[in-house]
Amino acid sequence: MIGPLSAAKSARNEILLLILGFAVLVVVGASSVWIAGRNAVFNAQLAQTSELKSHILLTLSVAQNAETGQRGFLLTNDEGYLTPYETALAAWEPRIRRLAELVGPTGPQHDRASALAAALKIKMDELAETVALQRAGKFSEAHAVVETDRGRDAMLEVRRIVTEMRAYEDDQFAKRSGDAAWGAKLQLAVVIIGLLVAAALAYGAQVIVRRQTRTLKAAQDELSRANAGLEAAVAERTSELTTANDEIQRFAYIVSHDLRAPLVNVMGFTSELDAARRVLKDQIDALIEASPGSVGEEARLAVDEDLPEAIGFIRASTTKMDRLINAILKLSREGRRVVTPESVSIRDVAEQIAATLHQQTQSADAEIVVEPGTPPLVTDRFSIEQIFQNLIENAVKYLDRSRPGRIVVRGRRVGAQVEYMIEDNGRGIDAKDHERVFELFRRAGAQDQPGEGLGLAFVRASVRRLGGVITLTSNPGQGSTFHLTFPAVFRVQSESRAA
Amino acid sequence: MSASNQRSVVIVMIEDDEGHARLIEKNVRRAGVNNEIRHFADGTSALSYLKSPEVRENGPMLILLDLNLPDMTGIDILTILKGDDRLRRAPVIVLTTTDDKVEIQRCYDLGCNVYITKPVDYDTFATAIRQLGLFLSVMQVPDA
Repeated sequence: MIGPLSAAKSARNEILLLILGFAVLVVVGASSVWIAGRNAVFNAQLAQTSELKSHILLTLSVAQNAETGQRGFLLTNDEGYLTPYETALAAWEPRIRRLAELVGPTGPQHDRASALAAALKIKMDELAETVALQRAGKFSEAHAVVETDRGRDAMLEVRRIVTEMRAYEDDQFAKRSGDAAWGAKLQLAVVIIGLLVAAALAYGAQVIVRRQTRTLKAAQDELSRANAGLEAAVAERTSELTTANDEIQRFAYIVSHDLRAPLVNVMGFTSELDAARRVLKDQIDALIEASPGSVGEEARLAVDEDLPEAIGFIRASTTKMDRLINAILKLSREGRRVVTPESVSIRDVAEQIAATLHQQTQSADAEIVVEPGTPPLVTDRFSIEQIFQNLIENAVKYLDRSRPGRIVVRGRRVGAQVEYMIEDNGRGIDAKDHERVFELFRRAGAQDQPGEGLGLAFVRASVRRLGGVITLTSNPGQGSTFHLTFPAVFRVQSESRAA
Repeated sequence: MSASNQRSVVIVMIEDDEGHARLIEKNVRRAGVNNEIRHFADGTSALSYLKSPEVRENGPMLILLDLNLPDMTGIDILTILKGDDRLRRAPVIVLTTTDDKVEIQRCYDLGCNVYITKPVDYDTFATAIRQLGLFLSVMQVPDA
């Protein structure tokens, strides 16, 4: 399935695609801006070309108007015909200046404009000369000036230059139009390519996302399969453990039970033996009384001392064995008890236990404090009462008599669990005995109190049955704290309990 | 069983532990019970005796039953006894080491008349058996 390496690779691919997409956007955007700029320039140039063209025409018309007025005046000698000439005379110099401005300081058009200005000057000078001669009444001289063809040549020159300038501008216009069209085509191409690349990137991204979704889904399926397997494994283990536990419980029950039957015989026949001894003793006593010396000293001692001693030891041992067997029976019976969870106020439980221990605590100059914040628990009432009973009793039992005793019961909720502490300032438990005290028939410290070593073994078995954990912290000579952790709500496992 | 009294009650003791059987017999006798006691150490022989025609014709009887037997449990025997037309009237006293509440209930449900847990402490045991003997000496057993 998907490994971390390929996951990193696909993440890199995604980032690469994203970067490429942005790059395409930037290229398309930049080209648009560039084309727009070019268009603006082109439009400005177009406007300038149009103005220049109209100015060239205006300049030509100024020359023509001036010539028309001069011709009319020369022919008719009527001043009235001079009006176009007069207008042109006033207009030609500003026109030339404006033209010079429009063509700029350099370039072929500037040279042509200068040539045009020169030709126009010659023409206007010739016109002015003829008009002046005419006005002075020197008609023939005026005609002679005209006939030099100076004016005609200048006029031809003007026309030629104007035509040339217009042609040049038209040429420029066509060229710029071509450029603009090419730019538009370029932009179209860029946009189309950009769109295509973007589409390709989008498709690629979608493919990658789809593939990733597929691998994710596969991983998820795998995970849920693994989870299901895990659950099955846990269930299997749990049932195995439950079976093993039940077997141990049954074993303990059967063993303790079967041990009891021979013990009844041992104890019974020991008593019978004792009864028989008493009969013998009576007989021997009678014999000794009747005839002293008829019974040997050894026989008397055997009946009077050896037999009672032996019987006494047998009895003591069987009594102890009986207690031990009963302890195992009690443990196994508790393990077979059906647990019924209910809400139990641990505070009330502890306070009730404290009340029943009032006599002992008073004589030991001790107090039992149950903190008000001790949280309740949903669990088996009987078992939890026995657990606290044992632990609090132990705390009272093993107080240090040299100082006033103080036993504190408190608890707090930790997530889905509840933690209780039973803290005393008693004699404490040596670190090496922290595990040992929980073992069956084992005790720790000075053996100055009665007990079988059952209490804590029983407590630990019960705590475990309620799904809890018990631990111990202690400083020898300063006190011990027993920590109990239970699930806040005990759930009965759906296991088949062997009857 | 005295030949003169054909109606004398026979005590059938089904007990696999010879020692227990002996102790029970001793203490029953000490209580002054002189009835015949027939002892069986396993369920099979006990049942074959109880089902024999000889027993069916032979007067009333009382059964002392241990629950822990090598070949079958006392519960099985109790079930068979209480399912038998003739034998079901015979009082059954379960005398065993088991003090499990569930077991005790089951025995009474199946029709056991008295359930006694054998005390491990011998004095208590002896006392219990002697009291049982006294009880046996006064109780009425239905005729066959």
